[in-house]
Amino acid sequence: MQTDPSLHVARLECVSKSYGGLRVLEDFSFELEPGCVTALLGSNGAGKSTVAGLLTGRLSADVGKVSLFGLDPRDRRARARMGIMLQSAGLPETLTVRELIDLHASHYARRMSTDRVIEQAGLVDLADRRCSKLSGGEQRRVQFALAISGAPDLLVLDEPTTGFDSEARRAMWQLVRAKAEAGTAVLLATHHMDEADALADRIVVIANGGIVADGPPPQIKSQVAGSVLRLRTRLPAARFRNLPDIVKVEERGADLAILTSSPRPTLEAVFQIDPDLQHFEVVGATLEDALENLIMSQSEKEAA
Amino acid sequence: MSDLLPVAPRIYWLESKAEIIKSARMPQFIIPTIALPPAFYALFALALGQSSAAAATQTLATFGVFAVMGPALFGFGVNIAAERETEQLELKRLSPMPGGAQITAKIAATTVYCAIALMILYALGLVAGVALTAGQWASVLLVHLLSIIPFSLIGIGIGYRFGQGAAVALANIVFLSLAVMGGLWFPIMAMPQVMQSAAWVLPSYHLGEIALMAAGQRNDSFLLLHAGPLLLITLASAIFAWTGERQQSR
Repeated sequence: MQTDPSLHVARLECVSKSYGGLRVLEDFSFELEPGCVTALLGSNGAGKSTVAGLLTGRLSADVGKVSLFGLDPRDRRARARMGIMLQSAGLPETLTVRELIDLHASHYARRMSTDRVIEQAGLVDLADRRCSKLSGGEQRRVQFALAISGAPDLLVLDEPTTGFDSEARRAMWQLVRAKAEAGTAVLLATHHMDEADALADRIVVIANGGIVADGPPPQIKSQVAGSVLRLRTRLPAARFRNLPDIVKVEERGADLAILTSSPRPTLEAVFQIDPDLQHFEVVGATLEDALENLIMSQSEKEAA
Repeated sequence: MSDLLPVAPRIYWLESKAEIIKSARMPQFIIPTIALPPAFYALFALALGQSSAAAATQTLATFGVFAVMGPALFGFGVNIAAERETEQLELKRLSPMPGGAQITAKIAATTVYCAIALMILYALGLVAGVALTAGQWASVLLVHLLSIIPFSLIGIGIGYRFGQGAAVALANIVFLSLAVMGGLWFPIMAMPQVMQSAAWVLPSYHLGEIALMAAGQRNDSFLLLHAGPLLLITLASAIFAWTGERQQSR
């Protein structure tokens, strides 16, 4: 079925991108739809920032086609509908928050009023402060304010809460959520599962240059959920390799770490092998572990 | 679709204004670039001067070149390096801002700061007894304003190639060596032969000589002897600036 291309906010078609011989994206296709928060989830270096860079016209694809609102991402008319929060953008130290927002908003014909941006980004008390006098979290909020100042149809946020405490993170999530509910499409590049879960309507997990999972948060969570059993045993690691539901077994210091998709049957089996086991714990898998779990279960499916 | 893009002249104006305000609030920029050259001039021409009108005029001609070097080298070199390092330039590049607005704003701000430095310098010159005809004043001003071009290009080249820390250090070295070795503080005749020859590759030397001609202090039949090399140096600086910008934006 042919879909109307104007319905897509942004689209990558069969894109490949390498840096100095290292392939970051391989035959990658992906599209963003209006009114939807899409989280790009992956570990560091998985290619999230590359996807964001391609969509914003910051990078160009080696192979394939990238379009933004049906135009080249470098077209100013496409850029006029997009707001961007870069991962590490600094601010001009000697301008006040209000002056900076006012200046940035002037690049957009459809801009919001400066006062409204200040209010929506929660910067009312800081509006007349110079940017050099802001904390890291406050600076991130100003960057968010700049991103929304042009009333964009697409908001691209690259790791918006890096280095935040949990309270500041929740505050930022609320700001993003409010924008999404007002109809803005959001692309969120993050390596935090909880951030993707809290914000996204759709999570796209990327690893090794491609998409390994794509769906609503509950579905992705069940796929990437997993646990790690840490045991202190005298038995060799090889004895545990054939347990049910396990993804991998590895030695971590003096302990053995067993990554499993369902901890209970694995744990029961562990006790059968080593009835004398005294020290063990079960912890949630890290994103890296969970991704490995996901990739593993996919290749099993393909093999079956 | 053009309803998505605001009128460009207004953006050029707002960006220029912001650029001027940004620097005005930086004492680390204002003091060495705007205040230092007139202060040196006061020291050389007023306090220590031989109190002759000719000496005051000659010093004014070369110090005018010195005065525009600061805003051009630091305003471009250091500011671009800092804004590039913190991705501020990147964010602007990705906004729908017209491509020329950023560089126009920086040129506007540099010109304003050069003009301020020159006005202070000229006022001190009048106090020191500088005697120029209206035509000579106009020629001197023109040479001083044209001096902004090569120094700005060098500044841009530095700004796109080096990180902030390195750019500050390098701009300082370039600033002082161009001033001293180009004979802007005292004539290069006072220096060893080797350094006199080396001065020929420095834009500051040729601009100083041309400014002296404009002020009626040198025989201007040698104008082409300095304008020719200066043109080549400016061209080389333009390539330095352009390739720096290219390598940045890949």
